[in-house]
Amino acid sequence: MKASSDAREEHPFPLTMSAPSRDQQRLAASVLVILVVALLITAPFARIPLKNTEVLVPAYAAAVFVNELITAALLLALYSVQRSRALLALSIGYLFSGMMVLPWALTFPGVFTSLGLPDTGLQSTAAIATLRRLGFPIFVLAYALLQDSGPSVRSSYGSVRSSILGSVAGVVAIGCALTWLIVTSDDVLPRFMKDARNVAPVWQYVPGIAVSLYLVGLVLLWTRSRSVLNLWLMVVLCTLLVEIIMLSYLSGGLRLSVGWWAGRLYGFISASIVLLVLLSEMTTLYARIVRSVSAERRAREARLMAMEALSASIAHEVNQPLASMVTNADAGLRWLGRQSPNVDEASMALQRIVHDGHRAGKVIEGIRTMFKKSAQERVPLNLNLLISDELSRSQSEIQLRRISIQVALHEQLPLVTGSSVQLQQVISNLVLNAIDAMSGVTGRDRVLCIKSALQDSGSILVSVEDSGTGIAPNYKERIFEPFFTTKPDGMGMGLMFCRSIIEAHGGRLWTMDKEPQGAIFQFTLPSAGDAISITAETAP
Amino acid sequence: MSTDQSIVFIIDDDPFVRASIESLLRSVGYTVRPFASTQEFMLNERLDAPSCLVLDVRLPGRSGLEFQRELNESDIRRPIVFITGHGDVPMSVTAMKAGAIEFLTKPFRDQDLLDAVHRGLEMDRGRRAEAAMLAELRKRFHAMTPREREVMALVATGRLNKQIAAQLDLSEITVKVHRSHVMRKMDAKSLPDLVRFADRLAINTKKP
Repeated sequence: MKASSDAREEHPFPLTMSAPSRDQQRLAASVLVILVVALLITAPFARIPLKNTEVLVPAYAAAVFVNELITAALLLALYSVQRSRALLALSIGYLFSGMMVLPWALTFPGVFTSLGLPDTGLQSTAAIATLRRLGFPIFVLAYALLQDSGPSVRSSYGSVRSSILGSVAGVVAIGCALTWLIVTSDDVLPRFMKDARNVAPVWQYVPGIAVSLYLVGLVLLWTRSRSVLNLWLMVVLCTLLVEIIMLSYLSGGLRLSVGWWAGRLYGFISASIVLLVLLSEMTTLYARIVRSVSAERRAREARLMAMEALSASIAHEVNQPLASMVTNADAGLRWLGRQSPNVDEASMALQRIVHDGHRAGKVIEGIRTMFKKSAQERVPLNLNLLISDELSRSQSEIQLRRISIQVALHEQLPLVTGSSVQLQQVISNLVLNAIDAMSGVTGRDRVLCIKSALQDSGSILVSVEDSGTGIAPNYKERIFEPFFTTKPDGMGMGLMFCRSIIEAHGGRLWTMDKEPQGAIFQFTLPSAGDAISITAETAP
Repeated sequence: MSTDQSIVFIIDDDPFVRASIESLLRSVGYTVRPFASTQEFMLNERLDAPSCLVLDVRLPGRSGLEFQRELNESDIRRPIVFITGHGDVPMSVTAMKAGAIEFLTKPFRDQDLLDAVHRGLEMDRGRRAEAAMLAELRKRFHAMTPREREVMALVATGRLNKQIAAQLDLSEITVKVHRSHVMRKMDAKSLPDLVRFADRLAINTKKP
């Protein structure tokens, strides 16, 4: 019970479905503020060139490569669980962006010429950078747009695997092909660069388009559902925006200047923060899975325990008549085996065997009825009749214990739909409990009070009240657990069965204190009109 | 088996189980008194006869095991045969440690119950004979004069007449006379007889 309600409160996929917490929103906002402040601080020095910093380009590229590949892997893992195409698109975007960093760094002028690689021409680096810069936001847009389509059709494990493998292979192939095309056809590429350091006027279109793509992405994400992932993607887009402003406008497109490096550095740092957030979210997800698995295990153990308790009580119930039968048969044989056989005694023993046989049969029948789930067994019942039946049956017990009865039954009580055996069992259990509760009472009246009433909601309320010793507060819930009993000889099963029966009938059973002394057990049941829909729902 | 007025008491709350055990025991000639609860048993039974209790572990009110403890505490030593619907090991160990004859799990073999009851009655008979014997010895002992009791105690420790005379400051003749009175009043045929009686009295009088 508990486990399932937990699951309802928390989303199974916190990253993509639940709203970001206050802390996360604050963290995201502060990352943005720091970015803008850093941008403003760096702006005046943006155009100062940093000579001979080409050696840092491979290091930067490697860091970005690892960073984006891990992000892509995390997102793919999430996709394999959640199967939303939006996530697949986003992870492909990360994969593409991470992969294209490699040719970008390899073709960067002056970086790898020392390694003996052929100089690929001026425009390749810029062309690859353009692809990266424009490619990533397009994938983000795809993510934002696909989000509404929700989880795709539940596909099998195999098809998820093949879709992941296919996408990865496709991205790698396209990346390689594009790189090859760019590297081999340097002359037909647009003239982005004037020389190794300075951009040509054509380049100005690229950041322009990139900025507008980022802005569209931001707007789309803003209007979509607020999830943790969306929040951090917005941070990523803002970071890219700041980066492009630094790279293309503040530094005047001057490669290897302070602004150029600062933009890349800021971008990388905030991308790392995003990665950290993703990792921590994955850990949370994992912890949640562990918790729900252990909750499931606990529930299973509780069920097992209930089963054990049940079989113990069945064994006890059946064993009693069985033992009696065996002993009676033995006694009968001995009466007949005497030198002068005593037929009267033997036939009395046989009669007791007959009675025990019926008794055992009734126990079995009762158990079967109690657990039969079929709705055919449910018939319209008058609870008042069940109550008066029970009272007349325990009449002698009540008189013997000098208990006075007060009965207040609602005269026009609507019928309920249910199993008469099961509900009889509940009423009988509650009445016998009340009688037992008053066995130790001296010096005041022993009063058993039974009421039935019609509630405003249309459901029927039955309460059984005693003037006994009451229930200790810390036992209030435990008395409904299997094996918990306050009676020296109790099995601790009665109230557990009562509660499960009442709940199976769409009602509730609970207990409360009676003033000044005693306990009240109450249960509600839907009246027949309401009950039909409930039984229809619960029927298999 | 019904030669003496031995009685078997059955305490079980289930009337049909009770009736079946009663019938079984009666079929082999026992006198049986069935009860539905220990309270009923305590109220009605003050019989001075060899007896044995067939007790259900699970009873309304006090459980059978608790009842056994109470009986032991109030020094009512009745042999008890336990019967239970679901016997578990710790329960039977507790019962046996507290002096139960047998711990039978329902459904039990009739012969097991009969054997256990038989053993219980034998034990009770033995215990009662022992108790009767001791009471008799005490009566004889208390019928003697204080001087004779002194002489008996010394004779029982193996002293010679001469030593006793010296210790009690009497003549040897007087000791001899006392000694013959002791033998007669205690109904001892020989010196070993007397020593055994003294032993038994000493053991049993030391007990509170």
